[in-house]
Amino acid sequence: MDLLIPIFVTLVGAASPILIAALGELVVEKAGVLNLGVEGMMLVGAIAGFAAQFYTGNPYFALVCGAAAGVAVSLIFGVLTLSLSTNQTATGLALTIFGTGLSALAGAPFSARPVQLMAPLFPPELATHPIWRVIFGYAAPVYFSLIMVFVLWYFLKKTRSGLILRAVGENDLSAHSIGYSVVGVRYAAVAFGGAMAGIAGACFPLLLTPQWAERMTAGRGWIAVALVVFASWRPFRLLAGAYLFGLVMTMELYAKAGSGPLSAIPSELWAALPYLATIAVLVLISLRRDGSTNAPACLGKPFMPSN
Amino acid sequence: MPFRLEKRPEPSRTMLYLTPAAAVLLTMIVGAIIFSAIGYNGLGAVREIFFTPLTNSYKWQDLGVKAAPLIIIGVGLSIAYRANVWNIGAEGQYIVGGLAGTWVALATYSMSGPWILPLMILAGVVGGMLYAAIPAFLKTRLNVNEILTSLMLTYASVQLIYYLIRAPWKDPMGMGFPQTRLFAESARLPTIIPGTIVHLGVPIAIIVALVAWFIMSRSVFGYQMRVVGTAPHAARYGGFSENKTIWLALLVSGGLAGLAGVLEVAGPFQRMVPGFPANYGFTAIIVAFLGRLNPLGVIFAGIVLAITFVGGEVAQTTIGLPNAATGIFQSMMLFFLLAGDLLVRYRIRRTAVQPSRSAA
Amino acid sequence: MTLTRRNLLKIGAAASALPLLGSRAFAQGEPLKVGFIYVGTINDNGYNYAHNQGRLYLEEQLGDAVETTYVENVPEGPDCERVLRELAQQGNKLIFATSFGFGDSVIKVAQQFPDVKFEHATGYMKADNVGLYNARFYEGRAVCGTIAGHLSKTGKAGYIGSFPIPEVVMGINSFVLAARKVNPDFTIKPVYISTWNDPPKEADAARAMIDQGIDIIAQHTDGPAALQVVEERGAVGGFGQGADMSAFAPDAQLTSIIDHWGPHYVNSAKAVIDGTWVPGDTWEGLKEDVVQIGPYGPKVTEEVKAAAEAVRTGQIDGSFHIFTGPIKDNTGTERVPAGQTMTDAELLSMDWYVEGVEQPA
Repeated sequence: MDLLIPIFVTLVGAASPILIAALGELVVEKAGVLNLGVEGMMLVGAIAGFAAQFYTGNPYFALVCGAAAGVAVSLIFGVLTLSLSTNQTATGLALTIFGTGLSALAGAPFSARPVQLMAPLFPPELATHPIWRVIFGYAAPVYFSLIMVFVLWYFLKKTRSGLILRAVGENDLSAHSIGYSVVGVRYAAVAFGGAMAGIAGACFPLLLTPQWAERMTAGRGWIAVALVVFASWRPFRLLAGAYLFGLVMTMELYAKAGSGPLSAIPSELWAALPYLATIAVLVLISLRRDGSTNAPACLGKPFMPSN
Repeated sequence: MPFRLEKRPEPSRTMLYLTPAAAVLLTMIVGAIIFSAIGYNGLGAVREIFFTPLTNSYKWQDLGVKAAPLIIIGVGLSIAYRANVWNIGAEGQYIVGGLAGTWVALATYSMSGPWILPLMILAGVVGGMLYAAIPAFLKTRLNVNEILTSLMLTYASVQLIYYLIRAPWKDPMGMGFPQTRLFAESARLPTIIPGTIVHLGVPIAIIVALVAWFIMSRSVFGYQMRVVGTAPHAARYGGFSENKTIWLALLVSGGLAGLAGVLEVAGPFQRMVPGFPANYGFTAIIVAFLGRLNPLGVIFAGIVLAITFVGGEVAQTTIGLPNAATGIFQSMMLFFLLAGDLLVRYRIRRTAVQPSRSAA
Repeated sequence: MTLTRRNLLKIGAAASALPLLGSRAFAQGEPLKVGFIYVGTINDNGYNYAHNQGRLYLEEQLGDAVETTYVENVPEGPDCERVLRELAQQGNKLIFATSFGFGDSVIKVAQQFPDVKFEHATGYMKADNVGLYNARFYEGRAVCGTIAGHLSKTGKAGYIGSFPIPEVVMGINSFVLAARKVNPDFTIKPVYISTWNDPPKEADAARAMIDQGIDIIAQHTDGPAALQVVEERGAVGGFGQGADMSAFAPDAQLTSIIDHWGPHYVNSAKAVIDGTWVPGDTWEGLKEDVVQIGPYGPKVTEEVKAAAEAVRTGQIDGSFHIFTGPIKDNTGTERVPAGQTMTDAELLSMDWYVEGVEQPA
C-alpha cells in the first residue's frame, strides 16, 4: 500500500521525541530514581531550543541549548531528592509544574514567531524514492534516538559503568558498602535524563511544529514515563514501544482522515489506548513465570545509609 | 565541609511545624526577588498572591470552595502515603467519582426528593473506590507498581468523560456542545450560607479531615497504616497484613477522591463538562505533602494552595502578572517544603575535624 | 495604588449590595472599567490572541474613557465563576466572557452583580444583564471554500476541528457548499481531535490528510500548526484562523479569516457609557467588519481572487447567502428547499452535514 511509507514516516516523527525522553528516564530509573518531571523538563527544553533556533537558526545549537536547559532544571530535582532525600514522586510533580510555568513565562515574547524546521540529515536526492525516504528522510534527532538505543543497551549490558549504575539501582546499600558513590552515580543519571528530556523537548519546535506554544508537549512527557515501564526497562523494547505508541497516535489521525473501517473507532478510544496498553503490558510482564517485573529494586526509594 | 548532618533520634516536632511556615516565607522572598529581577512588580506579586485573598470577605468564600476538594483528596492521599502506598491517580478517581454522581443525577433527572443527593454521593464514593481498586488489585495480586497504574488510569478516565458527554450523555438542549444537561434541583448541592457560594462540600471537607485525624491518631487502623509505612518488617511481626493495608490505603484515598468529585460536580459545576478535570487530584498531592501527611495539616495546606490560585488571578488583574507565575510560586513552595524535611529528620552540626565518611 | 484598589473594592461591594448607588457612583466621569476573560493564552496566535487584539483596539479607540483588564488561561467551570466575581468586585462594569464554556458561570455571577453588564461570546443563555455576541465566521468560510474549489487539484479538502459543535459544523458546511459551487465533485473530510490546543497532534492530522490526497486544509483549532505543515509539504494551501498567519506560512496561506472583535467591543463600551446598553444578541459578520478576510496569498490568481471577492462583497451587500437552498444533507435528503434561506436559529443548532462532507466517526 502506498500509505504505509507516509504513515511510517509520520510515526517516526511522533515517536522519536518520546523515545529520546524515555531513554533518558530509563537511565534515571535504572539508577533507582523515579523522576516524574519529564514533562516539565521537556517544556523547558522546548522553549530553550525554540529560542536558540529563533536567534541563531542553528538547529544543532538549539538541541544543545535544549539539553543544557533540561540538565539545569533536572539538577533542581537532583539536589532535592539526592542531597536532601526528598520524596521523589512529589518532587517530580513539582518539577513538572515548575517547568510548565517557567516555559510559559519565558515563551511569552515568542508568540507569533515561526522558526525554521530542522532539515533532513541526508541530502534530499537520497530520499527521492519512497523506500529510501524511509531510511534517509529524517532529521538528525531521529538517527540520534536510534543510536542512543544501541549505546544505552551496550552501556547497561556490557560496560563496567553500566554495571555500577544498575547496582546502584538494584541495591544501593551494597553498592555503597563496596565503595561506589551512590549519590554521585544518581546525580549523573538524573542530569543525563534532564539532557535527554531537554533534547526531546527541543524536537517539538525543530521537527514537529516550528512554533512555540504553551504546553506544546501536551502530555507526551507522561507517555515517555509510561513507556519506560511498558518496555520493562530495556532499551530495545523501548524502541519497539515508542514506535508502537507512535503508530497508535498516528493511526488515529490517518484512520480519521481516510475512509477505511478504522475511521469508525471513537477518537476517545484511540486516545486512551496507549495508557490502557501500558497497564496491559505491566500485567503481562508480571504474569511471567519468574514473576519479576524487572523494575529496579530501589526505584523511587531515597538512599538512606544508616550511620 | 564545615557542616555535617546528624540523624535525629526522633523527628523534630518543632521543625515539623516550623518548616512549612518557613517554606511559605522563603517562597515569598525568593519569588519577590525572581519576579523583580525579570521585570515584574515582585513585591506586588507576593502581596497580591498571598495576602489580598485574605483581606476580602468575598474571597474567603472562594478560598473555601477552592480548598474543599483539595482538602478531601489531600486527606485521603495523606493516609495512603503514610502507609507508603503511592496513589498518584487521585485525579482519575475524582473523575470517576464525578461521573458516577453524574450518572445518578441523569438517571433521576425527572424525579425529585431528598434521597437523590445522598445516592449521588454514595455513587461518587463507590466510583472512586472501584477505580482505585484496579491499582490495588494489580499491586496485591500481581505486584504491579501502583504509581504507574493509577497514573495511566487517570488519562483513560479523561477520555471517558469526553466520550460520555459527546455521545450518550450529551445535553439534548445544549446546541450540540459536549456537556450534559444541567442537573435537576434535587441533584444540586445546597449552599449552606444564604447569599454566598459556600456549599455543603466545605463543611464536609473539614469533617472529613477531623475524622481522619482522629482515626489516624487514635485507632488501630491508623496505627496499622503508620506502622506499615514506617516499619514494614515490624508490621509483619505485629500481624498486620501488607496487602490489606494496600487495599485500605487505595480504597480510602480513592473513595475520598470520588467524594470530592461528586461534590464538585453537584456543587460548583452542576453538570458534567469537558473542563471537569481541574487537576485537583494532582494539586492535592502537593497539599498532602505541604500538610505533612497529617489530616489537620492538610486543612491548612489546602487553604494555602487555594490562596495561591485565587491570588494568582488577583495578581493577573491588578499588576498584570502572567498566569504562569502561579505555577512557579506553587512549585517553589513545594521545593522549599520538601527540602525543609531534612531539618525534621536531621540536625546540622558544625564539625571541626574532617568527617571520616559522610553520607551525602 | 493600594488605596485606589481598596476604594474600588469598596465600590464593588457597595455596588453589589445597592445597585442604584453603584451605577450613580460610576457616572462621575471615571473611566469605564472593562474586563475580559480568555480560555487560553493571549499568545496562542489564534482565537484568544484575536480577542486580546480586540481589547487593545478598544483601548486605542476610546482612550482614557476606558480601562481594561484581562485574565488568561481561565478554566471553564467554577474557577471561571471566581474570576468573573473578582473582575466585578474590582469595579469592572462591562465584562466580556470570550468562550462558550463560560456560560453557566456568567449567568450565575450576573445574578449577583445586577449592575454589571456581561457579554458572552458564542453562547446561548441570555439574562437582563447578559448579552450574547458572536461572529458569522461561516461567511469567511464561504470565501475560503470558493478559493479551495478553484485551486484544489484533488478536489478534496480536510478540516481539523476540536469538537463537533454547531459552530464547527456550520463552518464545514459553508466551506464545502461554496467549494461545490465551483467544483460540484468537491468533498471535505472533517477530523476531530478532541482538543483545542495540541499543536503536534494538529500537525500530524495535517500530515495524515496530505498523505491521503487532501491538498487543502482548513482548521478550527487555535494555532498555526496545520498551516505550517501545508507549507512544509508544499500542498496547495490552507487558511489562517482567527488571525493572519502568513508569518507561519507565507506561501501556503491562501487567505485568513480574521476575528475583528474590536468594533463590537467599542460599540458595547460606548453603549454602557451612554447608558443605552441592552442585552443584545448580536451576530455580526463581514458587513459589520467583525469578520475580515486577510490578504490573499501568492498562489491565489487574479481570477480566483475576483471570484472570492464576489462572494465576500455579495455577503456584505446581502445579495448572497451561503445557506440558501436547495441544500441536501450528506445522505441525500433535501434539507433546505430552493429559494429558502436557513434561519439564524437553525444555523446555531446545526448538527448535520451537507452533501460533500464525508461523515466523521
